[in-house]
Amino acid sequence: MAPQDSPGAAPIPRIQMFIALLWPGFLVAGVATVLVFTLIDPVEVMECMGWSGLDRLGLYSLGFFFFWVLSSGSSAATCYFQKPCATVNRKPAARS
Amino acid sequence: MSSKDSRSHIKAVDDPSDAAAQVFYQKREKIYVREVHGLFALLRVSAVVVLLGLYYGLPWLQWDGRQALLFDLPARKFYIFDLVLWPQDFFYLAVLLIVAALSLFFFTALAGRLWCGYACPQTVWTEIFMWIERKIEGDRPKQMKLDKLPWNREKILKKGGKHFAWLALAGWTGFTFVGYFTPILELGDRLLAFQLGPWETFWIIFYGFATYGNAGWMREQVCLYMCPYARFQSAMFDDNTLVISYDEKRGEPRGSRKKGADPDALGLGDCIDCTMCVQVCPTGIDIREGLQYECIGCAACIDVCDDVMDRMGYPKGLIRYTTENALQGESTRVLRPRVLIYAALLLVISAALVYSISQRTPLELDIIRDRTGLYRETPQGLVENVYTLKIVNMDEEAHVYRLSVEGLEGLEVNNVARDIRVPGGEVYTLPMSLAVDPVVLDQASNTVYFTLQALDDPSIVVVQKGRFVGPVGP
Repeated sequence: MAPQDSPGAAPIPRIQMFIALLWPGFLVAGVATVLVFTLIDPVEVMECMGWSGLDRLGLYSLGFFFFWVLSSGSSAATCYFQKPCATVNRKPAARS
Repeated sequence: MSSKDSRSHIKAVDDPSDAAAQVFYQKREKIYVREVHGLFALLRVSAVVVLLGLYYGLPWLQWDGRQALLFDLPARKFYIFDLVLWPQDFFYLAVLLIVAALSLFFFTALAGRLWCGYACPQTVWTEIFMWIERKIEGDRPKQMKLDKLPWNREKILKKGGKHFAWLALAGWTGFTFVGYFTPILELGDRLLAFQLGPWETFWIIFYGFATYGNAGWMREQVCLYMCPYARFQSAMFDDNTLVISYDEKRGEPRGSRKKGADPDALGLGDCIDCTMCVQVCPTGIDIREGLQYECIGCAACIDVCDDVMDRMGYPKGLIRYTTENALQGESTRVLRPRVLIYAALLLVISAALVYSISQRTPLELDIIRDRTGLYRETPQGLVENVYTLKIVNMDEEAHVYRLSVEGLEGLEVNNVARDIRVPGGEVYTLPMSLAVDPVVLDQASNTVYFTLQALDDPSIVVVQKGRFVGPVGP
């Protein structure tokens, strides 16, 4: 494996960082939306809970964005924990 | 991937401490793609016409009085010509995805990135967006010149016109996309009457914006940073895979020369270093540096180099479709275990999918036991279980069904009409009960078989297992 393939070894362009945050989440949210709403009809769930006012298309869409936020959160956590430990220590030194 | 491969994207910076910051904030350099003509350009344009024709045209195709291809999300039904799929048929979709993935593996092993170069939506839409750009702004040199100009009338008109045309096409793309999920004729009527639903409007704009952004602005960055396939496709490559390659032995040492000059006398190879191959590359790489993951296999460099070779009076094919083995002077094996295994898997799974769809019964029976009690005893001394049956007629036509239940001696089926008529594409809920003399029960939980048979078609029949609960037998 080349050096830039290992995490944290080489910086990546800013656009790649945004993509790394949002894009995997988008893909996973798409899969999750298909799987969950194949098994569950959101309209029936809404009826059970006594809510109304949204049609299926709206519920599917909200579901998709809900999954997108969740899975992007997971990507964000991955990016956060990918930070090399040494850089955590270096911070106060830089201040002094 | 070797470190050399990504060199074109990381510029050398003298001070190493600045290197990180500069790369991190490095602005993407816009790639101006020169127009190219030739055999592969013709193939690519044909693919663009066919694929976009299918994409924009298919939703308008009518079939038996309805849209031929409609993934009706609001109604939870997928219409694919004669076939109507329900959420229960999800299995077919999963297998179809496996077939698609295997085809991708098969074609990649055989002929490299055919998908990327000719069929990927990103390539196809980028191609049409670049065509619009060239029609309005002109070819590569004119585009570069225009970008350097201050904002004058000409630049505003050309740039404005380009973005207007892009947005119009992107909007139409978004509309068509939503037209796959909600009937497009009604959608068109609502659009013209400004009566689109909020979610339809949202998805048209969302998808249109994604098209505009990806094909107009992001372009090769989608392939570099977003495409999962671009990252793992090399795993399917071997020395017999068809790739686009520069013939280093023949081309080097490269150098410019006068037309008609003898390269041997000058000590030069066939590459005249005109950089045309770099100028036509949609991902901005230099194919002469070897196979790189940025190469989407569009073959634009082959077309342009062949043209240059022709003009120089050299043989074509300095850049060509070839294999690593052929470049090394060895023979290429097309049929090799990898290709045969992918092909065999593809054939078996596709055949199984087609067979199972052809054998699909358009009828489903769900048995839901009454939750209020396990069983009750009737005044006649029988043990009774209550059920709710859900009969899903997945066919487009109405059918009349007959229900029978077996598995226990003297089983009585109550509250069920002799003939159950369910209209096409509907779910029928049937509360019913079973009763039996407790003497035949030798255990607390017994298996019974519900059989639902269509009267007009012997092939439409389902058998479902159910549970009958009674007091522990004597």
